[in-house]
Amino acid sequence: MDTVTSDRPPVPPIAGAPPPETDATPSLSTRPQPAKRSVLTWFRELTIERRILAGFSLVFIGILIIGAVSYRNTTILIENSRLDTRSHDLLQLLNNVDTAMDEAENNHRRYLVTGEVVYLQSFRSLAEQKPTYLKYLKDLTAGSPVQEARVDQLQKLIEQQINAETGAIAKRDGGGFEAVRRIALEGVAKRELAAIHRIIAEMESDEHQSLRRRLGESTLSTTNTIVLLALGALLQLVLLASVYYLIRHDITARKKVATELQLRGELLEAANKELEAFSYSVSHDLRAPLRHIDGYASLLNKAVGETLNDKAKRYLQTISDSAKQMGQLIDDLLVFSRMGRQEMLHTTVNLDQLIKTILYDLRLDLQGREISWTIDTLPEVPGDPVMLRQVFVNLISNAIKFTSTRPVAKIAIGVERKSAGEITVFVRDNGVGFDMQYLDKLFGVFQRLHRADEFEGTGIGLANVRRIVHRHGGRVWAEGIPDQGATFFVTLPTRRPRT
Amino acid sequence: MTAAKPILLAEDNPRDAELALAAMEEEHISDKVVLCHDGAEVLDYLYCRGQFKSRLKGNPAVVFLDLKMPKVNGLEVLRTIKSDSSLQPIPVVMLTSSREEKDLAESYALGANAYVVKPVEFHQFLTAVKELGTFWGVINEPPPEGSASTN
Repeated sequence: MDTVTSDRPPVPPIAGAPPPETDATPSLSTRPQPAKRSVLTWFRELTIERRILAGFSLVFIGILIIGAVSYRNTTILIENSRLDTRSHDLLQLLNNVDTAMDEAENNHRRYLVTGEVVYLQSFRSLAEQKPTYLKYLKDLTAGSPVQEARVDQLQKLIEQQINAETGAIAKRDGGGFEAVRRIALEGVAKRELAAIHRIIAEMESDEHQSLRRRLGESTLSTTNTIVLLALGALLQLVLLASVYYLIRHDITARKKVATELQLRGELLEAANKELEAFSYSVSHDLRAPLRHIDGYASLLNKAVGETLNDKAKRYLQTISDSAKQMGQLIDDLLVFSRMGRQEMLHTTVNLDQLIKTILYDLRLDLQGREISWTIDTLPEVPGDPVMLRQVFVNLISNAIKFTSTRPVAKIAIGVERKSAGEITVFVRDNGVGFDMQYLDKLFGVFQRLHRADEFEGTGIGLANVRRIVHRHGGRVWAEGIPDQGATFFVTLPTRRPRT
Repeated sequence: MTAAKPILLAEDNPRDAELALAAMEEEHISDKVVLCHDGAEVLDYLYCRGQFKSRLKGNPAVVFLDLKMPKVNGLEVLRTIKSDSSLQPIPVVMLTSSREEKDLAESYALGANAYVVKPVEFHQFLTAVKELGTFWGVINEPPPEGSASTN
């Protein structure tokens, strides 16, 4: 797991949580203003990608909330509609029961008076339908304790009424009209019927109340949903517009940068071409007068050399030497400039082999010198063989040159350290060394730390070394102690750089 | 012996010309040198026109060509020589200050026979010019006159 502890986890802005407070002292003067500003600062510090992500997250969360609330409201509406249907059914049923009870009582009385069997039909149908009525009533009031209690009461009263009427009918059948004369006029279940009417009225009133309550609830819920949808849509629109603005702003900025880069690339190319023309001109035109100076000095020496005194001869020689030196400087400068522009070859260089051939080529410079060499096995690195050769020719030549004052020179070449992706090679000598305070001048163009009459050279070698190593994606540095020696380090990548 | 054949030296810079002649002098071949001051003069010489209208017919033993010259530059002269069947056999040596790869490549592509960078050091310059003059003007056997391919 590659956890980076310094990376703060992204806090979704919806939480509105301010970044962890560093100031632990409870301060009374904390106003909401700084907290708001810190959220804003936090947002500003986000990368553009995270800002866009935060924007889209907000939109997504908004859609979720709207969806959830709409779902809940719709569920309420559906439930209310179901309950309304049930209430209407109940009202209808109550009406039927009421009528049935009325008719049973009235027709039963007519029978008592007339003895006509046809009047018994209502009573019989009620007795038959009673269980069905009660079952429906219980079904439709299930879940409402008050109504259920009323249904129980209703059941008792209906049974009482039917029982009373059954008794009266039996009496009429046994003793004729005279036996029931009094009952027939008054009605046998007058009390029960009144109670039944009262309970049914109560139940109806209750249901009507429930209907009204649910209607209010549904209306409110619908209004809420509409308002939420409208507000939500507006908010989403604003958010999406902001995200669009962010993205467009970013794209515009990137386009601008790309145009700028292209322009700079073109300028750089033009500058490079100009530089090439310049160095060509330097190469060609600056050499001619130098050749003339040296040439005419030589001709003069040839013509009148015999007659000149030593002082004049030395003057003439100095003119020649200076011209030659300048010629060398120009050549070095051209090589240095070419080193920066030249196409790089990307192959593998065997450093071991490279050092061996360099030492072989330098063997003439080593005549009359006593040098103790320590050379480690060196690896292969990706790079340009000609350029890398120049690096090590310079470093080894320097080591040989600056140990020339030692009776026994010691030069070591080896691998200082090897890590993933790069390798550091060093060239160490026991020569005259250098003062570390001049380190920054060491790799500069035409910078020399020694007098011209001490050690020869134009001071371009290490500048070339640095330029080549940089072009290989590496680093170069040095350590030295005056009169004790110097070590030069070259770090090169072991993987091919991506182009 | 090729004593009769002249050495054509194209050099716009009078000092360079003088130094080159001084070098040839030491080898006693300076009297064979014909000096041209620009590319146009070289072509006039080769085609026997202008100031060289009445010169003795025949190609020079060698042409030493500077690259950078007024009017017609070295590479243009080289192109003309190597694309003309009667001049094409003449050995052409580029004698120049430029070490630029571009010039080298172009010269050889056009058919230069040699390319010599003028050394800054006079002693080396002397040696180079002397050797060139001796080799191309004396040692080297130039192509016979009329050897130009006719096909």
